[in-house]
Parts: sequence; C-alpha cells; structure tokens
Amino acid sequence: MGNLNLRGVRLVLGERTLLEDIDLDARGGELLAIVGPNGVGKTTLLRAAAGFLPVAAGAISDDGVDVRTLSHQERAREITLIGDDVETPHGMSVREVVLTGRFAHRAWWDWVTGDADLFATDAALERVALADFGDRSFDTLSSGERQRAWLALALAQDAQTLLLDEPTSHLDARYALEILSLLRDLARDGRAIVAVLHDLNEAAAFADRIAVLGDGRLLACATPEAALEPALLERAFGVAFDKFEVDGGTRVLARGPRAMVRET
Amino acid sequence: MFSFTARFALLTLLAIAALAIGLFVGGSPLGPADVARALFHPHASGDANAIVWSLRLPRVAIAACVGVALAVAGFLLQGMLRNPLVDPFLTGVSAGAGAAIAIAVVLGVASPFLPPLGFAAGLGTALLVAALARRGSGIDAERLILAGVSLSALFSSFVALVLFRLARNGADSVLAWLTGSLAGRGWSELLWTAPYAVIGIAFALAAVPSLNALRLGTSIARAVGVDVARAQWLLLGSATLLTASAVSLSGIVGFVGLIVPHLARRIVGSDGRQALVASALLGAALVTLGDALSRSLFPPIEIPLGVLLAFVGVPTFLYLYLRPAGATRLWGT
Repeated sequence: MGNLNLRGVRLVLGERTLLEDIDLDARGGELLAIVGPNGVGKTTLLRAAAGFLPVAAGAISDDGVDVRTLSHQERAREITLIGDDVETPHGMSVREVVLTGRFAHRAWWDWVTGDADLFATDAALERVALADFGDRSFDTLSSGERQRAWLALALAQDAQTLLLDEPTSHLDARYALEILSLLRDLARDGRAIVAVLHDLNEAAAFADRIAVLGDGRLLACATPEAALEPALLERAFGVAFDKFEVDGGTRVLARGPRAMVRET
Repeated sequence: MFSFTARFALLTLLAIAALAIGLFVGGSPLGPADVARALFHPHASGDANAIVWSLRLPRVAIAACVGVALAVAGFLLQGMLRNPLVDPFLTGVSAGAGAAIAIAVVLGVASPFLPPLGFAAGLGTALLVAALARRGSGIDAERLILAGVSLSALFSSFVALVLFRLARNGADSVLAWLTGSLAGRGWSELLWTAPYAVIGIAFALAAVPSLNALRLGTSIARAVGVDVARAQWLLLGSATLLTASAVSLSGIVGFVGLIVPHLARRIVGSDGRQALVASALLGAALVTLGDALSRSLFPPIEIPLGVLLAFVGVPTFLYLYLRPAGATRLWGT
C-alpha cells in the first residue's frame, strides 16, 4: 500500500521560496490531483516528492520511511515519476521501453533480463491495453498510446506511488478521458496516484481529492466539491470562477472576458 | 533478415577473418603455411617464427585492442551524451596527449617514453574537461562537449606551433603520431596499457544497464532507479581509460570511434548489451584490416592508419547513411 506523506515541506528554487508549509498525503487506493497556476511549483513539488530534489525544510516519507534514506533503487521500487519532459526514444520497441521499468529489480550492473521481468512487462502492457503493441517501434505510437506506454513502464516498475506530471496535456478529449479512467482504475488496485492536472474539471470528474496550490502554499486539499470553491480558486488563479453541479458532480468555469467586463 | 545469433556469428567471423588476414599480410613474403607453422610451434627458431611472434602477432593484437577500445569508448560517449556526433576524442584525451608528445619530441625525450607520457597527459586533460563539465554530483552533457571541444582546440594549436618550429625529423615523428600508426609497437607497449584497458572494459560492462535506461532520457532513467551521476562518472571513466590506452598505442586513429557504434547499432539494435559487443567486434575487425592494408598497399611505405581508415571508411559511411533513396536516421536503428 503506497502512502507518501509530506510534512512542513519548503521548496526553494535558487533564492526564491516556491512553496512552504506543505502538508500533503498521497494515500493508497486514491487518485490525488494537484492543480494550481503556472509557475506555482507543481512540477518542483512532484520532483521533490519523488526524491529527485532536496527540500529546504520538512520531510517526505514513504510508508513511514524518510525518502532521503533510501538508495536510488530502493526509492524506485516505491515511488516513480513520469514527468512531462519525457523524450521520445528512437529505435526502441514498446516492450524494450517498458522493460526499462524493471531496472530497480536487479543489481544495477546486472545484464540478465529474467523471466519475472518479462512477465511483469507483459502484464503491464496488458493492463494499459497495449498487449498487441509490444513489438511496435515506440516512435510510431500516437500521443495517447505513448502516455499509456509510460504508465506501463511505471506499472512494470511495480512502484506503489505513481507521480504523474500533466499526463493529459497533449491529449484530445477522448484520449484524456481514457488516461484518467485508467489512472482511477490503477488507484483502485491499491496504488497511490498523484497527478498534476491543468483542467480543473478533469480533476473534478476523476480525482478523489484535489490539492489546490497558490500563493506559495497549499490552499486546500479536499474532495472536489470542497476544494473547488470559487473564492479559493480566485485566490489561486487570479480570475473569478463559477461553480456548477453537473450530474451530481462539481464543475467550475473561469469567467470569460465578457463576464469580467460586465462586472466592472 | 538474420536472427540475433546469426548476426553475432557473422560479426565474430568477420573479426576472426580480419585477425587472420593481419597475420598473413606483411612486408616479408611468408606463405600461410609458414605463418601457421610458426603459430603452432612458438619455440621453434627461424625467420618465420621471429616475424610472426615478435612482429605480426603483437601488431595484430594491438590493432584489435585499439579497435575495441575506440569503438567501445565512442559507443559509451554517444549513448551517455545522446549525441551521434560524439567521438572518443571529445574528452580531450587525444589533444592533450598530442600536445605532450609534441613538446616531449622538442625536448628530445626518448621514443619509448612517449606512449606513457601521452597516456598520462591524455588522462590529465580528460580530468580537466570532466572538472569543467561537473554540475552538482553529475556531469552536464553540454558543458562536457563545450569543455572538450575548446580544450582540444587549445592543445591542437600547441601541436601546430610545435610542428611549425620543429626540424624535419622531429616533425615526422609527431606527424606519424597525429595520423595514427602501429609501426614499431610490440608486446611491451601492449602489456603496460592492458591493465588500464581492462579496467575501462569492466567499467563499461557495469555501466551498460544504466546506459540502456539512459536511452529514455535522464528524467525516466532517474525515475526507474538509475543513479545518474554514478552512471555518468563510470561511463566517462571507462571511455577515458579506453581512449587513453588506444591513443598511447596507436596515436590518433580517427573515424573508428565515431562510425563503428553507428554501424553496430544498425546491425544489432540500440540495446547496449548487444551494441557494445557488436561495436567491439567491428572495431577490432576494422582496425586490424586497416592496419594490414596500410602495411601491404605500398610496401615498404606504411600509409598512416588514421588517413587510410578515413579514406576507405568515410565514403562507405556516407553511402550507407546519407544516400537520398535510403533516407535512414543516423541515430537508432
């Protein structure tokens, strides 16, 4: 069961404090969305949570263990991060890419791909509905298929906490829904899934909880209904929002220029 | 078209054939039977034995080692920096060694001391380049390339200056070194370089799984558990030791470290486990064949090995990769 806990975390970029006093829990079985304006530090927060960046203050622990005490491979068996800066590998099959997720399950100098590695790779491809794509060259996949392949890599890695930076950013509406449904299913399997999302309504529709970052701190971390309060969102994004009920779920809409003009 | 096993069998056969040709070809007219007899009776006396055991065999062994070292070093650096234009001399090894050797020739240092001197100077230059390229605990690819290219340019102008001032005899020995040659190399040179090359190969083998993950970029490599800084230092250390060993044995043999890794990836794919072995086999074959050709085309004159390989290899490479119809990517397979 993946449980990632951030306590009193302060993140600094150069001289500037990006975020402070962050208390956040990613719980197994749950999809947690992180939203906030551009430049607030969402990506930096994910990278720190993955153990890639040091924190200026506070602590990050995985199931009670401080992530700083873990070796690279130990950490990768617990937590993984698929960034939005992933590069498209050339000359590699989809299976080869996904198999790379098994790195942490062997000694780092070991050349041998074991049966367990192959089995985990095939199971991961199956789980993201790419079972027939294993032999395809990775660079022939569509954006949506690539995103599923990266998820397969994370599944083959068998980390219980998955951190995803804008997993739907290059996807059209249908592919985005497909990925978000998959993420929710993967969370239901018991993993903790943390995704930075730009679209507040995607977050509202799929996430169990939403963390709203703004103003250099965590403004709220609650259910979509509680977190997507217009006043709170205005504080975070600097524009006014309207909140609706659609089919029993919460939706929000930033007020367009016309509404803004009418108000003034 | 061919299975993996068949491709490796072919590459191995190619390397063995190249070694055999290297043994059979030379200035003195020895028949294949004489060579074979000498090989199987190492303690017999006679001219054939002396030629095979103290001239041809060490020379073929050195050619093979130089080929393996340069091809593997090029493969590691291209993979680490994810840049298909990188060659083993990027780390400044050859330029640093070149400058040291040119200056030593001016100062009248005896020729047996030149290879160790080149080795040490090459290693020192690579350390300087690595120090400049450091960022955090790891290495910044862009800084490494910039530092390597600029220090190489600086040391190359030292060499040019020395050549400009040198008397003709001295200039010849520096030039021979700059254009790559195995003339006059024997077992002793091979023996003292071997340990460094072996350490280089061991580092390379240990770094291959990390190198494979690095094909997906540093961000994913880190996510799957690669200690990126450790992998970078291992790869750079390995490439430097291998290049310095090769350079101290043969001078500057260009082309091999740049182009063999491309051919290897094209034949067996980009998986480092296969591509490293294929690079080693192809590198050994290419340098051994090149050296045999350089000795036998216009005897007793030897054509500089680096020059010959560039003349034969570059057009072949251009034809394979840049012909308009077969528009094939340079990177990957």
